[in-house]
Amino acid sequence: MTRVRRKRMHCNNKELHHKYKTKRRTKDLDQIEADLLPENKQRLLTQPEDEDLPGLGQHYCIECAKYYIDDRTLTEHRRGREHKRRIRDLKAPAYTQKEAEAAVGMATDNGKALSSSIAGPQSLLALKRKNDTKVAAQSAGVAGSSMMMAD
Amino acid sequence: MRLEKCYFCSSTCYPGHGTMFVRNDGKSFRFCRSKCHKNFKMKRNPRKVRWTKAFRKAAGKEMAIDSTFEFEKRRNIPVRYDRDLMSTTIKAMKRVQEIRARRERAFYKQRMAGNKERERELNVREIQKGIHLISTPLASVKEVQKTAETSKQMDTD
Repeated sequence: MTRVRRKRMHCNNKELHHKYKTKRRTKDLDQIEADLLPENKQRLLTQPEDEDLPGLGQHYCIECAKYYIDDRTLTEHRRGREHKRRIRDLKAPAYTQKEAEAAVGMATDNGKALSSSIAGPQSLLALKRKNDTKVAAQSAGVAGSSMMMAD
Repeated sequence: MRLEKCYFCSSTCYPGHGTMFVRNDGKSFRFCRSKCHKNFKMKRNPRKVRWTKAFRKAAGKEMAIDSTFEFEKRRNIPVRYDRDLMSTTIKAMKRVQEIRARRERAFYKQRMAGNKERERELNVREIQKGIHLISTPLASVKEVQKTAETSKQMDTD
């Protein structure tokens, strides 16, 4: 057998693996979208001093969900490529489970379509009920006619 | 039993398959397989990843608007078990699937229509552009023949 390379492979890139661990997960775009709402924004911009955070947690970039050590680095970051890319990403509304379901035509049907006269195919249950009533009416009619015949 | 849709690729997560990730704010995400989970961990946007349903539908690669999609719904009303309803539902599911497959086939054919002609045109253009590449050997062969002939004539003379 030939030698198998074990070092310097993509699968051995420990940094990458550490980065993608869920315990190190950073804020998602939908969370940041919520942070950018005016009521949350104020709270995040005026945080109490925290010893564990960089710069006592006083210099926070909401879009990138990152703490900076002072105002100078924060403004430097705001001029950078990463921040601009993040702003571009935030322009579109965040991806949701609802969107994932809409892609396969899945939606919620709580029976409202039955009562309202929305154009388009009704739910299967409604169709079945409709058919049942039709059949019942027909059989009743047949029964009635047979009664008539008997008379 | 409920069949949820994968957060990333929108395929169905069957019981006993895939992973669920619960974020520290309590929101849960379902994934049909590790591929989807890994892509989520890499913070990729499903709208931009070309193999997800969200991308393919948005880009017009697949049939997006169709009446056969109106049947599969999340119904939050419990229905009392009815044997007839069950059998008709299963029959209807099979029929709907049949119709959808047919329509998808037609959609694909329509999408691919005219590709052959386009390809042929491109090939013809490419040949016209690089005609000198193929014509040279032939020309050289002709030249060789000519020289051979002239040398023969010289010999006879």
